[in-house]
Amino acid sequence: MSRTDASEARHFHLVHRTTYTYPDVVTSSYGRALLLPRTSSGQVCHWSEIRTDPVAAEIAEHRDFYGNRSSYFAINESHTVLEVVAESLLTVARKAAQVERIPATPWESVAHATRSLRSTGDQTQPDHAAAVVAVTDGALASALVEPDDDIRAYASPSFPPGRLVGHAIRDLTTRIFHDFTYRSGSTTVRTPLGEVLERREGVCQDFAHLLVACVRSMGLAARYVSGYIETQPPPGVPKLRGVDASHAWASVWVPHGGWVQTDPTNDQFVDNRYVVLGWGRDYRDVSPLRGIVFTEAEDSSLSVAVDLLPITRDELEELRQR
Amino acid sequence: MTNLLTSYEAGGPGHDEMLQSTGAAKAAWAQLADLVDLHSWSQMSARRGEVVRLLEDHGVQYGGASEDGQPWNLDPLPVLLDEAEWARIEAGIAQRSELLDEVLTDLYGPRRLLTTGVLPPEIVLGHPGFLRAADGVTLPGAHQLFLTAADIARNADGSWQVIADRTQAPAGMGYAMEDRRVLAQVLSGLYRKARIQRLGPFFHSMRLALREVAPPRAGDVPRIAVLTPGPYSETAFDQAYLSAMLGFPLVEGQDLVVDGGRLWMRSMDRMEPVDVLVRRVDAEYCDPLDLRGDSQLGVPGLLHAARQGGVSVVNTLGSGVLENAALLTFLPRISRELRGQELLLSSAVTYWCGERAMCSHVIANLERLVIKPTFRSRGQRSVLGWTLTAAERADLAARISAAPHAWVGQEPIEASTAPTVADGALEARATVLRTFAVARPDGYQVMSGALARSATDGRATLVSGTSSAVAKDVWVLSSEPYAIADPWVQEGPPPAQVVASISPRVAEDMYWFGRYAERAEATVRLLRAVGDRWDDFHAQRGATGGRALAVLMDALARIAAPGPLAQVLLDPSVPGSVAYAVNRMETAAASVRDQLSADTWLALSSIDRTLQAERERTGDDDDGAAEASAGGLRGPVLARLLESLLALQGLGSESMVRDVGWYLMDIGIRLERAQHLVDTLAATLTQRRSAAVDSLVLESVLIASESVITYRRRYQTRANVPTMLDLLLVDGRNPRSVRFQLDRLRQDLAEVPAGGSGVAARDRLLADVEDLLDELDTAVVADTDEHGRRRRLADLLDSIGWRLRELDAELTRIHFVHPTPSQWLDAGSWGAA
Repeated sequence: MSRTDASEARHFHLVHRTTYTYPDVVTSSYGRALLLPRTSSGQVCHWSEIRTDPVAAEIAEHRDFYGNRSSYFAINESHTVLEVVAESLLTVARKAAQVERIPATPWESVAHATRSLRSTGDQTQPDHAAAVVAVTDGALASALVEPDDDIRAYASPSFPPGRLVGHAIRDLTTRIFHDFTYRSGSTTVRTPLGEVLERREGVCQDFAHLLVACVRSMGLAARYVSGYIETQPPPGVPKLRGVDASHAWASVWVPHGGWVQTDPTNDQFVDNRYVVLGWGRDYRDVSPLRGIVFTEAEDSSLSVAVDLLPITRDELEELRQR
Repeated sequence: MTNLLTSYEAGGPGHDEMLQSTGAAKAAWAQLADLVDLHSWSQMSARRGEVVRLLEDHGVQYGGASEDGQPWNLDPLPVLLDEAEWARIEAGIAQRSELLDEVLTDLYGPRRLLTTGVLPPEIVLGHPGFLRAADGVTLPGAHQLFLTAADIARNADGSWQVIADRTQAPAGMGYAMEDRRVLAQVLSGLYRKARIQRLGPFFHSMRLALREVAPPRAGDVPRIAVLTPGPYSETAFDQAYLSAMLGFPLVEGQDLVVDGGRLWMRSMDRMEPVDVLVRRVDAEYCDPLDLRGDSQLGVPGLLHAARQGGVSVVNTLGSGVLENAALLTFLPRISRELRGQELLLSSAVTYWCGERAMCSHVIANLERLVIKPTFRSRGQRSVLGWTLTAAERADLAARISAAPHAWVGQEPIEASTAPTVADGALEARATVLRTFAVARPDGYQVMSGALARSATDGRATLVSGTSSAVAKDVWVLSSEPYAIADPWVQEGPPPAQVVASISPRVAEDMYWFGRYAERAEATVRLLRAVGDRWDDFHAQRGATGGRALAVLMDALARIAAPGPLAQVLLDPSVPGSVAYAVNRMETAAASVRDQLSADTWLALSSIDRTLQAERERTGDDDDGAAEASAGGLRGPVLARLLESLLALQGLGSESMVRDVGWYLMDIGIRLERAQHLVDTLAATLTQRRSAAVDSLVLESVLIASESVITYRRRYQTRANVPTMLDLLLVDGRNPRSVRFQLDRLRQDLAEVPAGGSGVAARDRLLADVEDLLDELDTAVVADTDEHGRRRRLADLLDSIGWRLRELDAELTRIHFVHPTPSQWLDAGSWGAA
């Protein structure tokens, strides 16, 4: 694994720039962004902002159903190029999960606890008031993640009777990593999971969806996490895939263990090299940027540039002063 | 002859609304039997005919302006209920509405129902009607659930039960009001004698409720609009009728825009604020930004504006979650937990399959239960278990097992029956009532009446649904005369006037309504003129009359459509035919129902009836049509059509306020009339023929242009082309001349707000045509060359013609633009490219 000290707090300067170019004039445009990182366990967002060019007539932020930071903006100035920049300063001190430290519960017990929460709002579960909605949401099928027999058949080998849930999650993560080829551009956001399963290739979004689907098919709760991963390769270590781009992974609910974040694209638990934007049932709940445009233009083009720069504490302080 | 009533009374078991009636209702049923003569079939049949006619005259439709559209089907006999009985229903509905409101408030707020084990979380979180994007959006005031409807039926034991709640965007209030209007006419004797609780106060209350729910900033006179999916919606009539009755504009998504955290209506020259939006579009389709991205029915940013408190959307986005049939299972428990009350009105016994024991019960009893998905959608309808084959049941059981939380089983209700007029008899038909309630600060006001629906096939158990039912009005009978609670006319300062403005979409529909109405009229006049010649001369092909007829038939083909006269009149699939123009006119009218006089539909239904009767007379099959084409047209038919079309014109000039919509309609009429005349002249006058042939042709042109009497009076015995051109092109006093249309166009356009550069081009075109007429020397253009061609006239008409067409294009470009939204490219990008 990496030489980065997994326990050390790390600081980041994150810039996510999206540019839309239209062949004809756009008269107005409305955007919804999930590009500002939430402060969550192991991660603090010190400062962040969204700005657009042309300048938005209105920008507003609210916490969505999942507690993610959701931004609305409206542009009513005519334009042919729209640039949306999200920038933030963060400190991440997340420790990766370790299989041995995940509560030693057989996965069937987790499935049982999950079922009990979703169908009765079980009062005996830990933190049940907070967990009820999140766990039920994570256990139910969603628009892009609807487990079926094929998914369940693929998932089963990772869930033999009695296996402890931590081992099951680890095994599933590793299997997806080995069984599937990462191929940029091989899928789109509309590629159904069945096709990914059949073709055995995809991008991180597909692998995250697949893991969520497998977990749900076994009766457990899982969610889709949107964010970034730092990809500065130390010498001698193979470069991680997904260099400076949006990234996605999954997290699985374990009673008394919370949500265990695991990354099937890189075969590891999520640690302090990851920045979390937000989470939801699947990509649709957390798509980084979407919008509606009024234009005669028939098509448009898009470019995305993401920089996740590790910075020192001093650099962080300096940037915060700015 | 059998006595209808006697044989009805001999009917089967079960609760019947007439036979088991009590109190004022019992007396009223007796009066009904007496006054309406329930005994006699000829009476019943006549009443039914009257209902059908009135509904046609009002243009009442179900199924929208599409192929599926059908006339609204209303039974002439209302359901009569006693006041005391109704009071119990009313109390039950009011209580239920309060409870549902508390559930809704909780589900989009603290969600304690889910975290305290009162309501299984997956019922709510697994329901597509629960909109996570709408979490935390609230309405001002005491209630979150603005309007609610319930389908209720009476059990065999006489008690009422709720089969389903309708909270998404309840339909039917407009139909209920229209049903009442029609029956009040058809049964006027009884309607005046019986003390029937009126529906009006409910709608007045709804108006007040809409004000109360407006954002505080909106002030005393909040602006309110009704959002419709458009004229193709199944309940388009209901929506348009409701908006007209309440007095609020009917708008489509494209008419609205969100700016600065508020909602605005695009109007011709400015933006008008909208403070309260009554939505008849399902929530999912209301905002392509935050809900369904591919929806063309919504407004991007609407949810944001609602969240900011810039607009109150009712029902709130997300209210559809209460339609979940699984809630019926848990409502009694919720009522005890939240309010410490038992439900006054119980629900049909419903088993939620997400609970293991109930699921087993449902699967074991599939053959006798009604199986419902918890979420209603086009592909997911209720299933009557006893209608399934064994294989279908096994299949259904498997689907339930795969997602048990998404299914319920419901005990069927043997709904009470009410006498319904069928062929030659009164039939006892199972009847379901849809009630309506609206939130007021001090509780829910329930409509004193309902929209009832009866099964079309005898005693079939009714499942909630509208498509194949007969509607019935519901009369609640008082023993005391009713008092008007909230009179419309009030003392005090004058009410603030709301400035009416219209959107580009409405503007366009008004314009086309005018154009197609004028086109229909002009084509009828032309057909009549040509038809007369046809009657006289069709047997004399080579003779003078025959040659004139050929010229006119050729002109008709160029101006309207080629083909036999009957086809040009009757075939709606032929563009240029009268029937085609009528169809387009009706579609335009349906989209702007709230702008037109209600009597418009009287004229339109009469046109439809005339065309339909003529179609039936000439036969539908090809042989019949061919036979008809061998004959001419029947004068009386054209006269009747003209009469109705003139009635429309009369409504336009005498019954409509001169606002922007009217001016656009008039622009449509004027432009069409000018264009039609120019085309007619180009097709008939640009070639000289023998004096005998031209006499007939020119006279027909004058007749078709409604100018022959004036011409004869002016020029007595002799006729020539220059004087005809004087009258038809340049005489500004002749309301049928091109000059007259130009003058009107100029006046009308001055009343239509517009800005920007396009206006100059538009006005230039008009000025050019005016110049052409100013400089016109009719004697010179009437000159012919050696082949008898009037080249100058042809050129002149051509110059005018293309400018008029260009004017139409400019109008469309300047005034009728409706931007359509599209989705951004997906910005998801994973991994290095």
